[in-house]
Amino acid sequence: MDFSRVDLCEDDQAFLDEVRTFLRTHVTDEVRRRDRETGENFDEGVHLAVGAQGYLAADLKPESDGGFSPVRRRIWELERGRARMPSYHTGTTAMIARTVEPFASQQIKDEVLAAAHTGHVRLCLGFTEPEGGSDVATCKTRAVRDGDGWIINGSKMFTSNAHNSQYVFLLTNTDPGAPKHKSLTMFLVPLDTPGIEIQGIRTIDGDRTNITYYSDVRVDDRYRVGDVNGGWTVLRAALNAEHGIAERDVHGLQKTAAMSEFGVQMAEAIDAIAAIAAEEDNDGRRLLDDESVRYRLGRSIARTEAALSTPEMFGRVAVVQTIRDVTPDLMDILGTASSLPADADSSPVDGAVEYLFRLALPAGIYGGTLEVFRNMIAEHALGLGRPDYSPPKR
Amino acid sequence: MDRYELRRLDYSLSEAHTDLQAAYRQFFKTSCSIDTVRAAEASGFDKNLWERLCAMGATTMALPESCGGDGATLVDLTLVAEEIGRSLAPVPWIDHVCAARLLARLGALDIANDGAADLVNGAQIAGLDPQIDSAGRVRLIPAGSVADHVIVRDGETIVRLTFDTRPFRVDNIGRLPMAWIDPDKADTRVILAGGTEALAGYRRALDEWRLLTAAALVGLVEETMTIAAEFAKTRYTLGVPISTLQGISHPLANMAIALHGGRNLARRAAWFLDNEPDERPELAASAFVFMAEEAAEAATMAVHIQGGLGVSAEAAATAYFVRARGWPLAGGDPGASAKQIAEIVAARESRAERRS
Repeated sequence: MDFSRVDLCEDDQAFLDEVRTFLRTHVTDEVRRRDRETGENFDEGVHLAVGAQGYLAADLKPESDGGFSPVRRRIWELERGRARMPSYHTGTTAMIARTVEPFASQQIKDEVLAAAHTGHVRLCLGFTEPEGGSDVATCKTRAVRDGDGWIINGSKMFTSNAHNSQYVFLLTNTDPGAPKHKSLTMFLVPLDTPGIEIQGIRTIDGDRTNITYYSDVRVDDRYRVGDVNGGWTVLRAALNAEHGIAERDVHGLQKTAAMSEFGVQMAEAIDAIAAIAAEEDNDGRRLLDDESVRYRLGRSIARTEAALSTPEMFGRVAVVQTIRDVTPDLMDILGTASSLPADADSSPVDGAVEYLFRLALPAGIYGGTLEVFRNMIAEHALGLGRPDYSPPKR
Repeated sequence: MDRYELRRLDYSLSEAHTDLQAAYRQFFKTSCSIDTVRAAEASGFDKNLWERLCAMGATTMALPESCGGDGATLVDLTLVAEEIGRSLAPVPWIDHVCAARLLARLGALDIANDGAADLVNGAQIAGLDPQIDSAGRVRLIPAGSVADHVIVRDGETIVRLTFDTRPFRVDNIGRLPMAWIDPDKADTRVILAGGTEALAGYRRALDEWRLLTAAALVGLVEETMTIAAEFAKTRYTLGVPISTLQGISHPLANMAIALHGGRNLARRAAWFLDNEPDERPELAASAFVFMAEEAAEAATMAVHIQGGLGVSAEAAATAYFVRARGWPLAGGDPGASAKQIAEIVAARESRAERRS
């Protein structure tokens, strides 16, 4: 057990200074403002600069192959969070690249993965379908053999960042007659292929995601990842990475759970509210003098600290559920002004709570709904068995 | 505070920790069955169990070496507390170690004094008033009917009370050896200390009491969850185990989520009190506020999952249910701790804002 400050050696201290300078230079107020406006969680200029600096490659590679050491990886993670660098989809590319690597042909490695290291290639996920929800195995997007290639037809939801990406990591059905886990095949489909349409959708937290449509899209067999009808094996590895349940042990130099960065943002906002609550108005009165404010603030802090402590798949639920639970109280404490978004005149805590209140909705859905994780906890941690899914009433 | 500060977030237990944990888990497993728990309900205290627990060194470990103790860390103590909660052990261990540690802090546990050794090894029991703001003179003390020494705050002083005849136990939902204590009716009343430092020492004892109670509630929730989960796996409705119904499995998953969060928070709070006590003083109360709320909810659901069998007074589930409510309530309104948390964090953050 250890929660101490990490003593940095001279080299790592220099790395920290370098990272901070880099972020100050490239992640400007203008970048952050544009990110709020577009909801893209991605900035091409920043992304390419990160690539040029070598951080993308270092983040993608294992330490043995020249990648970040655990302490540098953690520094990079914390500092880009502090700087509010639009980086969510940097993570998506990294996750797909890591998943694809063991299954991919040399050609894909050369064409795609090498350019992902420099930032010139970005990857997005094409798992979920409009009618499929969190059950990715109910895949209706079809890929049919056509000589040395495949013809793909279908559509995908939540293909976030597709409009800034060069490839979509696409889940297709190649054998509709087979049991669902033996019918899937994965592809890395170039997004400039004719027949692909990207349609933007804004979600309630302000993010931009996409629906992508695939009409007679012809893709060469070399873009296949893994075996034909062997997609489930590839997908399993990808979902484990997306669910954040494959965290490695690095002596406390990792996130406590997937999406715990949202919990950190929650804690940051509460700290700011606590400071506001202690401010005296012209009559010397403080919000904190109201006992109901003091109680609600204290309870919100307690629950947020508990969520931040909750590990692994338990934490994946706890963080988002807690943000959903405590943000209404925190908004109430701040009063009507807490209904103002960031960038509005005199918005308290720069709209952070209003944002988190909205964020916690999609954050409990994408990357697997909270129910998916409760199912996993029930089945794998408590041994309760798979949920009973009754057939529909005829 | 800097939420992006580079600190380790390492919750893992050392081998010494897991050995300690295993020893106490085994002890309570063999010595404290649910029948033992039931048998002690009339008094709230199993003297035999207490003596065997003390013989294991459970009280001695908690005290500093300068007082003849073994100088265990608070992290160590949370591990023992968790096992007490898991087994619902009818022993005033949390109250005793918090009170004895307070005496040590106030310099009132002089090793040369005969009575001191008895307090260290648990032959004499110390209790305390765990409430943040006790209203009125007469108060409910959770270990009041079995304690040889009762430590209370009286205005600006800390006093030690003794009674020639132990105060009567009052029945209570936590099945604790609780008694009404009137400081004015004590046979001896010794002022131990007064002033800012002494009061800070008392506040620390209240923090430790909340921390260890939170840890005990974690163990309590884990055990009642496990019993309910086992029941759900073998109970069938319309041909399927009820554990496969999400109306049952998701509340059980929520219990698992709460106990993992509460456990890690209690350990982190303990680590900070052990190593950097001024850094995160709000965490012990946070663990308490969180677990006080979650334990009652979890224990209620654990009974509910077992339906008509769960609600019977003989079911283990109901034993967990009443204590999940009664143990934290022994410290008064948990809302008082919530308010304290807000004050601590507001003071820290407004200082930080003035600095920047």
